[in-house]
Amino acid sequence: MAFDFNSLFAFIIFGVTIGVVYGIVALGISLIYSGLDIVHFAHGEMYMFGAFFGLVLVHNIGLPYPLALIGAMVLTALLGMAIERTFYRRLTRAGGGYTVAGMGMIICGFGMSVALVNVAYFIWGAEAEPFRANLNFIPRLTFAGDIEVPESYVLTAIISVILMAALHYFLRHTKMGLAVRAVAHNKDIAYLMGINVPLMISLIFGLACGLGAAAGVLIGPMQSVQVEMGYLMLMKAFAAAVVGGFGSLPGAIIGGIMVGIFENLGAAYISASHKDIYAFLLLILVLMFKPSGLLGIEAKVKA
Amino acid sequence: MRLLNKTLVGAFTACVGFGAAAAYADDIRVGITMRMVSENGQAYGQMMMDEIKGINEAGGINGMMIKATLMNDECKSDKGVANANKLVFQEKVHLLIGSSCSSVTLPIVDVTAKAGVPQLVPHSTNSKITQKGSEWIFRIPVSGRYYGGVNAKYVGENIGTKIAYICAADAASVGDCANLEKQMKARFGVEPAYRADVQEKEVDFRAHMQKIKSMNVDGILVAALAETMARALVQSYEAGIGADVRRIGSSSASNAPVPKIAGDAAKGVFFAAAYAAADQRPIAKLFNEMVKSRYGIHAPDHDFSQAYDLVRIMEIALKNANLTGSLADDRTAIRDAIANVKGYQGLASGPISFCADATPQCRDGNRTAVLIGYTKGGEDFETEVIARVTMEEDFGLE
Repeated sequence: MAFDFNSLFAFIIFGVTIGVVYGIVALGISLIYSGLDIVHFAHGEMYMFGAFFGLVLVHNIGLPYPLALIGAMVLTALLGMAIERTFYRRLTRAGGGYTVAGMGMIICGFGMSVALVNVAYFIWGAEAEPFRANLNFIPRLTFAGDIEVPESYVLTAIISVILMAALHYFLRHTKMGLAVRAVAHNKDIAYLMGINVPLMISLIFGLACGLGAAAGVLIGPMQSVQVEMGYLMLMKAFAAAVVGGFGSLPGAIIGGIMVGIFENLGAAYISASHKDIYAFLLLILVLMFKPSGLLGIEAKVKA
Repeated sequence: MRLLNKTLVGAFTACVGFGAAAAYADDIRVGITMRMVSENGQAYGQMMMDEIKGINEAGGINGMMIKATLMNDECKSDKGVANANKLVFQEKVHLLIGSSCSSVTLPIVDVTAKAGVPQLVPHSTNSKITQKGSEWIFRIPVSGRYYGGVNAKYVGENIGTKIAYICAADAASVGDCANLEKQMKARFGVEPAYRADVQEKEVDFRAHMQKIKSMNVDGILVAALAETMARALVQSYEAGIGADVRRIGSSSASNAPVPKIAGDAAKGVFFAAAYAAADQRPIAKLFNEMVKSRYGIHAPDHDFSQAYDLVRIMEIALKNANLTGSLADDRTAIRDAIANVKGYQGLASGPISFCADATPQCRDGNRTAVLIGYTKGGEDFETEVIARVTMEEDFGLE
């Protein structure tokens, strides 16, 4: 393709819009990782459930899109908390602490992923469902003469910024946020300080799942909603989380945006046929030169 | 004692073997493997079973009942091949029907060719399916090589020759892209203005659409499975590509999820298929009503019509086959009977005929494609018939 700055600009804008969605899902993965020290392999399914909840709230209940977004976040957060309380906590208790080391949690996460996909398949079927939402309240932006950014992309960018700002405020400027950070830092000391650690872990799970749901509802009008949508998003979000630095919340967003831009530019100027490779190529490059990720902290373990 | 044991075991084995043979003796076993993951897929699978049940209730085939086994391959080649192996070697079917997706049918052709089992293809369009040289394969739908010719003629003469191609990686779409590209070059001497090979379930076409927009093309071919195509159509409008740039669909544009998911973006999309719900023939109207009342499908696409025609052709062939009770001989007799089906006129856009040679000319039964356009998208989509074209049997072959 012939190079021109307008196209480059367009690809970067589109990369950023999809990248912030990767970032939001990665944020959830990082939150759970910081809270429980586990990688949650069923997080893609929380994103998928969120998208379906949003779809049902808009199409069946008739809620306006912004309310459906909030509703889907709340419902998915409750679902995530229920899963954590019912399944994951048993594992942590069995280990005698608040976190689980080893394969138990990984296997449980994979199992939960398969179970949730099948539950969704049972409820909604395998067919893709169009997510028709009235987004007329959002302007369609035009850049550099002919680069049009549709309403759904503009909304994605706006909502993502709001969510990130809200999360930042919650974690940095509220007492509960402080408690969450304390739990993420050291659960035993947090417990000794009087913090209800299990409750905070549930809250972290709920927050993370709510963020995944927001990403699902945001992506729905762009790509339709289907049962298998979670897997690829999870992979991209993992890439984003690792690129940004696993466990780093700002890193997750920056990683997501980088993955989005990198894959869009790769698709545009190298080959669109292998678009999904670019995210993992970036991941490999980052791991080669900065294994802890861009904003990750290099931890040295004493022998 | 040992002798007694051996005798008892031998007698038991013989009884089981005889019992199984007796159970099979009066049945004609038919195995079906198709994609049945969507509401439509489940409905046309059920429709085939209902039609077979109808044949049995009407007395069967020369007094023999058809025992059909329906399996879902989910459009996955590994599942399709596993289903085919199970049906051929365990169920010992006389006839195999499958599959919906070309990427599944292509490897199954090798299974049936090796085992010597006649195979009727209900939906797959990839032209290579009948070019493998198997003497056991028969295709009910229109081959992609004919679709390519019909599309190229209409596109070149009515829309323009500057065409962008978006080609998904599934076998049918790869074939549809290659056929149109080949025919556009042969007829009008043009190469694609832009070509992107995307993944089978691609979700994000924005980079392509942005590039296509800057090229001022006459049309965009979107060759992909239904849901992927619908997403591409929607995103083409989101990128600001106007309706004056015509959208050309591959044969899967006929599938109901395209207008359902694409909504308004489906309006104006045209494609070649084997059947149009807008067909005004009495047989088509009756069929539409039957599908709507029985299965609640608003407008049956060519996957339904082809499944229905397949059952009717199977019925004709089975009635004409001289079945003896020997599995190998019966399979051969059924194959020969299918090859003798000539000028079957059912729901398909044209007559379906087969012949004995293991060539695409003989085994691509339907050579008539109908060009269909969407006049309305959404759940209650509407279509119109633009043209009906019958191709020469050699068309599209080297």
